[in-house]
Amino acid sequence: MMNSFKDILRAAKQGGVKRLLIPSPAAKDLPLLAEATAGGLIAPCLVGDGRMIKTLIGGSPLDGGKCEILEENDARRVLGRAISHLRAGHADILMQGGIAHQELMDAVLDKNSGLKTGRVASYVSLFELLKRDKLILITDTYLNNCPGIAEKQAILENALQLARRLGMEQPKTAVLAAIEQVNPGIPSTLDAAILSKMAERRQFGNAVVEGPLDIDCALSQVAAERKGLKSIVTGNVDIYLVPEIDTGHLLAEALVFFGHMQTAGLVMGTSNPVILKMPFVSDENRIMEIALASLLCGKGGRNG
Amino acid sequence: MHGPAPGNPGAGTRINPTKGGAAMIRSLEDFTRLAREKGPKKLAVLAPEDEEFMRAVKAGWEMGYIEPVLIGDMKKMEGVAEKTAFDIGRFQKIPREGQQAISDLGIRMLFAGETPIASKGQIPTSYIYRSIIREEAKAASGMTVSVVTFWEVPGIDHLVAFTDTGVNIQPDAEAKAEIVKNAVFVYHLMGYPNPKIAILSGRREVGGDLASYRDYKILKKAADAGDFGACEIVDATSFTEIFLGGRDGLSSYDRISGDGMPHILVVPCLDTGNVICKLDFFLDVTRSSLVATSRGPVCIPARSDFSDNIVQQLAMCVVLADRMEKEVR
Repeated sequence: MMNSFKDILRAAKQGGVKRLLIPSPAAKDLPLLAEATAGGLIAPCLVGDGRMIKTLIGGSPLDGGKCEILEENDARRVLGRAISHLRAGHADILMQGGIAHQELMDAVLDKNSGLKTGRVASYVSLFELLKRDKLILITDTYLNNCPGIAEKQAILENALQLARRLGMEQPKTAVLAAIEQVNPGIPSTLDAAILSKMAERRQFGNAVVEGPLDIDCALSQVAAERKGLKSIVTGNVDIYLVPEIDTGHLLAEALVFFGHMQTAGLVMGTSNPVILKMPFVSDENRIMEIALASLLCGKGGRNG
Repeated sequence: MHGPAPGNPGAGTRINPTKGGAAMIRSLEDFTRLAREKGPKKLAVLAPEDEEFMRAVKAGWEMGYIEPVLIGDMKKMEGVAEKTAFDIGRFQKIPREGQQAISDLGIRMLFAGETPIASKGQIPTSYIYRSIIREEAKAASGMTVSVVTFWEVPGIDHLVAFTDTGVNIQPDAEAKAEIVKNAVFVYHLMGYPNPKIAILSGRREVGGDLASYRDYKILKKAADAGDFGACEIVDATSFTEIFLGGRDGLSSYDRISGDGMPHILVVPCLDTGNVICKLDFFLDVTRSSLVATSRGPVCIPARSDFSDNIVQQLAMCVVLADRMEKEVR
């Protein structure tokens, strides 16, 4: 089982070099691409205006034939060309370059020409708990605003897939809400209870799903027991499923900025891993996102 | 707590921040230091039927913060007092059974001026909120009940308050306006003449508009027009914006500081508020919560809180009760 970012990086390197596509790359992307290339993680392919890309990489560590260039001189077609390349199996990973988040995700999620394979694409943030030698997943921290129960089921399935790829045999999930009791006045508690019941009926395979759980019960077994709640999930959660985006996005940010925790993440529910530029992911952790994406390209790691 | 309450002098009077001149409270230690000076204050304790909570009451008494009035099931209270080696013989005890009945009595005592503070023991907070809402209605204070949860964060030179972390499930802009006023009132009491506020939202580069962001725009306009008194709503709505302040992503966030952190962070909804404010189980922060009613603070420790944390929350209520008595009444 992988318990740290180092473990992920090691496993990704063992999985061999993956072909990473980056449409309209920006200068700021080059050091990261160079590091991942030198580390044996990726073979980068830059998509866009050939002349501009050559100028961009000139003098950089990627110069001198260390990266492929896929020429597309029409700026409006760069993203489409990159996604077609992935769909045709000529590349493994899509990484955001200079194209805006919304435009990129619209193209990725396009029903006809995009990469979506699952019912729902979702974003999983992975955090490293150094004191406990453990990794935790929080989802959805970026893509879905107000998922209903069907969407939450798919978001959880996406996270479970990543958890299993990290070696968690029986991932333990806390479905978070404001309180640990089922309260008809608080919709998140109802969704949590339904997901928990679905897990009891083995609808998520070998996984334990507990909900609703408030964050103190999720984080502390002692706190949970003081509220009369006994579960193997409390105090030892692998996946935190949040009720909606306000909570998910702010929670991920709070852990980074108040907690100084290391994070990396990626889009799940697509045929190929998609790496986005998240402002709360530090530059030095972006290499982990490439490693994470590489893991999902390998055997048993099909993304979505 | 804000806005005039006819026929109830004291209730609903907003503090003039320039009038008080009270010492600025920057840390939880400031609260404990001041509580020693200002205590002991009478505290209506609602169902102290749990060892952890009774231990906190004992410590609060020994430190000179409070003089408890114990309300609840006599056998249970005596049982936990014995287990915690706390001689409760000297204190007023009011036998009462049933969680709502206990809550109603304690909150009624607070509103009648018999005790300046009330505190919840081991009963669900919803009973307390119900009692407060009823008493506020009777007092015609016109206030919305909301919970303010403070964080003491290493490296930030003031306490940071999340609100509303306990009552309003999905507050709209109108409800959030009341939540803002309540928190601003508390900060004025704490000696901050012009507290800064962030209206938090999960708005990001994708996903379009969110209700929480629309609320920010409405509230910002109202604050700029002076609707909330002396305070300022800042432009940031996310922690990324607060911490990075418009900078691009950094190479590492290991040492990032919270310079410019607003005093008050208004959470989008109850789920968000509760999930984030209790991250003290995870992060290097200390948490302390209260409900500030029109007649005094109500201490509302979580049922999972430990005695040290509860004592801290009692100290905070003692100081705020003292300042409310002086400033409002």
